[in-house]
Amino acid sequence: MKHKSFYMLGVLVLVFSMLLAACAPGGGGEVVPTATKAPVEPTKVPEPTATKEMAAEPTKAPAEPTATSAPLYEGIKLEAPDCEYGGNVKSIEALDEFNVKVTLCNPDPAFLVKIAVPAFAIFDADYIAEIGGDAAKLADNPVGTGPYVVQEWVRGDHITFAPNPNYWGEAPKNTFILKWNKEAAARLLDLQAGNVNGIVEVTADDVPTIQADPSLTLYPRLINTFLYLGINNTKPPFDNQVVRQAFAMAVDKQRIVDDFYAPGSVAATQFVPPGVKPGFTDGYQGTTYDPVKAKQMLEGAGFDFNQEYVLSYAERTRPYFPQPTKIAQAVQAQLAEIGIKIKLEMEEWATYLPAVRAGEKALFFLGWSEDYPDATNWYDVFLTGSSPSFGNAFPEIVERIQKAARLADPVERQKIYDEVNKLYDELVPTIVIAHGTTALAFQASVKNVVLGPYNENFQQMETENGTLVYSQDGEPVSLYCSDETDGSSFRACLQIFDTLYNFKFGSAETQPALAEKCSANTEGTEWTCTLKQDVKFSNGASLDANDVVTSWGTMWDYNHPLRKGNTGVFQYWKDFFGPSALNEPPAQ
Amino acid sequence: MLQFLVRRLLLMFPVLMGILLVTFTITRLVKGSPCYVMLGERATQQACDNFNQRYGLDKSLPEQFVRYMGNIAQGDFGISIKDRRPITTIIAERLPMTFELTILAMLFASTFGVLLGVISALNRNSLIDSLTMVGANMGVSMPVFWLGLLLAYFFALVLKGTPFQLPPSSRLSAGMSLVPLAKIWGLEDLSGVRAFLVALISNSAILNGILTRNFELVFDALKHLILPATAVGTISLSVIARMTRSSLLDVLDQDYIRAARAKGLPYRRVISHHALRNALIPIVTIIGIQTGSLLGGAVLTETIFSLPGVGSRMVEAILGRDYPVVQGFSVVIASVFVLSNLLVDASYAYLDPRIRLK
Repeated sequence: MKHKSFYMLGVLVLVFSMLLAACAPGGGGEVVPTATKAPVEPTKVPEPTATKEMAAEPTKAPAEPTATSAPLYEGIKLEAPDCEYGGNVKSIEALDEFNVKVTLCNPDPAFLVKIAVPAFAIFDADYIAEIGGDAAKLADNPVGTGPYVVQEWVRGDHITFAPNPNYWGEAPKNTFILKWNKEAAARLLDLQAGNVNGIVEVTADDVPTIQADPSLTLYPRLINTFLYLGINNTKPPFDNQVVRQAFAMAVDKQRIVDDFYAPGSVAATQFVPPGVKPGFTDGYQGTTYDPVKAKQMLEGAGFDFNQEYVLSYAERTRPYFPQPTKIAQAVQAQLAEIGIKIKLEMEEWATYLPAVRAGEKALFFLGWSEDYPDATNWYDVFLTGSSPSFGNAFPEIVERIQKAARLADPVERQKIYDEVNKLYDELVPTIVIAHGTTALAFQASVKNVVLGPYNENFQQMETENGTLVYSQDGEPVSLYCSDETDGSSFRACLQIFDTLYNFKFGSAETQPALAEKCSANTEGTEWTCTLKQDVKFSNGASLDANDVVTSWGTMWDYNHPLRKGNTGVFQYWKDFFGPSALNEPPAQ
Repeated sequence: MLQFLVRRLLLMFPVLMGILLVTFTITRLVKGSPCYVMLGERATQQACDNFNQRYGLDKSLPEQFVRYMGNIAQGDFGISIKDRRPITTIIAERLPMTFELTILAMLFASTFGVLLGVISALNRNSLIDSLTMVGANMGVSMPVFWLGLLLAYFFALVLKGTPFQLPPSSRLSAGMSLVPLAKIWGLEDLSGVRAFLVALISNSAILNGILTRNFELVFDALKHLILPATAVGTISLSVIARMTRSSLLDVLDQDYIRAARAKGLPYRRVISHHALRNALIPIVTIIGIQTGSLLGGAVLTETIFSLPGVGSRMVEAILGRDYPVVQGFSVVIASVFVLSNLLVDASYAYLDPRIRLK
């Protein structure tokens, strides 16, 4: 009886608190972050004043109505008060209807490749204003300039893309259906059964099956990735440079690549993959596998072979980490060959990544897939001390990287990166193990398949029935790619949105897309882009410069009224032109 | 009887409150951050601080709980952290798939499970009995993801090109789609519970096809459900078969069965009208429990066959720390489980008049 009363009392308290919260003012809804600074007001281009010639014309009452002049274009300009806010963009301005100028605080030779990334998609400014920049509303009716429009998105199952009747380029040759399945074995089964025409991320184990099947074709895709063994140099014994060097020598990278990676993958000889130029030093071999010498160095450094060292990783398949547990076990075994005791600690991604970022792990596996083909997407991300993951940054490396990032001349940049690559081997901030590639597979009946490191030419592929079905490894999170970071979302976005520049199919080269041309001033601090004219969004609206200013402005300015998105972080802008967004509150 | 049902329905309320409290607390106490899951390798402390502030995750747990419960009282289950969509919308999308899979799986499991159990009981200690029980043990022992892949491989690849080929994954064939019923019925302005119910019906491929007389859609949906329903129903079938055998054997030893036989009733009638009916109580209990657990989402089956059901979304939400989805789905799953148990309890009164009188 007592327990029953206590129970009922608990329920009453809960109900009372619910009612209290429901009736309290502001008792629900999303918490809106408070702005710390006044938002940057968009300024309009001023109207021209009357000229002397006009004033000199005699004024008469017109016998017939005269044609009125077309209204002047009201271009938007967004400008930061200075360059001290922590980012590299000073202003974005619509010079006129079809010209946009981006002014940078420092030169950025990678500007064109950065804006080719799907996160820099151009939206219809009026439509974004209509939906308040909300990614959920955008997903219900995405409006873009891309080759396709979304016909339907059956959540959890597929997205159907139909050709965009307003597309400015060559009309797609098919209806495109994007599906997903997390399991590689299930994707292969779908392909073999004819349920889909193509699949992503073929595992190394499935490669022989596909190659033996005449109805299927394997397409290796050369993307730039790396898997690294991260080392926190503040945690003993890894604060000792000799220990780090010895660990680098004790890992047989070639054996790992041969055993676990898809064809086309290579063992790392230096920090960046061979495809990164400037960056990769031709002919430089870096640290080679030498377990005997590694052991001698460890003994000389007083390394404690009796202690067990924890090596952490997350069981999460990525292009750079195709078989996490097996690779971790292989490295553990290799280190054990010279007497190093390694304990593997597998964690869930949601707990692993914050712990790594907070610098809690001494040894850990992580990796990277390239966003754009430039050395700044490698060296600047990992070696400038932006994260406590690796402990202390190395000033001699940081200084060189920051200098190279600002140079336009690739030859001069390469000289600096040659020095960095050598310093990297000497100081060992991390141990890069493999540069993995991926492979895709299609039915042999699919024609005209062209794959590049950053895209697939779905709109040009030809199938017998005019419908192309492709299975990737996850459902897109949203279609507001300015605020997404996952490849699954980007693949969908590429079908319905465009950027000013994009990557040619089958290549890492950029080409103009929505822009006719973008050119820089001699200092490299101002980029002026001229838009293609007569480009229409799928809702019939015309593309103009304000669309570019608004699309990028929402990413740039933390206080932009239309900055809502999905996560609200717009991380790619911060990664490429940051580290901070304009008006962004500092870390707590 | 009515009093019983009303009392049980009222008792659901504190059960759901308790589940909400427990789920809310546990999800937030478990380590990990939704920001890091969403941003991946790009996550930074600054980005995550702002992210947490946006979603109110920087507030204290009690404050978050009170705010959440206040929203629940207004019928607002919140939005998904992953894609900012209302939880009720996501539930309306996922639940029909799970219902369809569960109903088909349990139809398969109940029909064949009871049949095999009866055959086994009536041929006790014979070869048929042994084979049936060995089969039942195998069914219970086989991992569902292995069985699922095996079935998919056999019916999709081995039987490819034959009339027996079945699709190995997805809910519908490419090109098939569901008609939004709210749109064609002019009910787009509906809100609240009615809008939710219309969405539930609309998102059920089978109901949608029947209501729009698109029988090709119905057939396609059923075809896609055969393999997953068989895979997930096999375990239930085995359990039901064993329970049926055991329960029927108990009843067959009773005096009234002997009396019925002595009176000269046909053996078939004795089994169907006297023995089986009395043996049904524990069988119905098992069917109810199995149905309830399947309605909670057959995660492995949904993953293998790429079906957009409750289970796969729930697991995704747990791994992604999508707290509103975990909480909302927990309430739904609990409600469904409680309701299915209630139905089972109510069926006792129909099956056993003695229970009715009590």
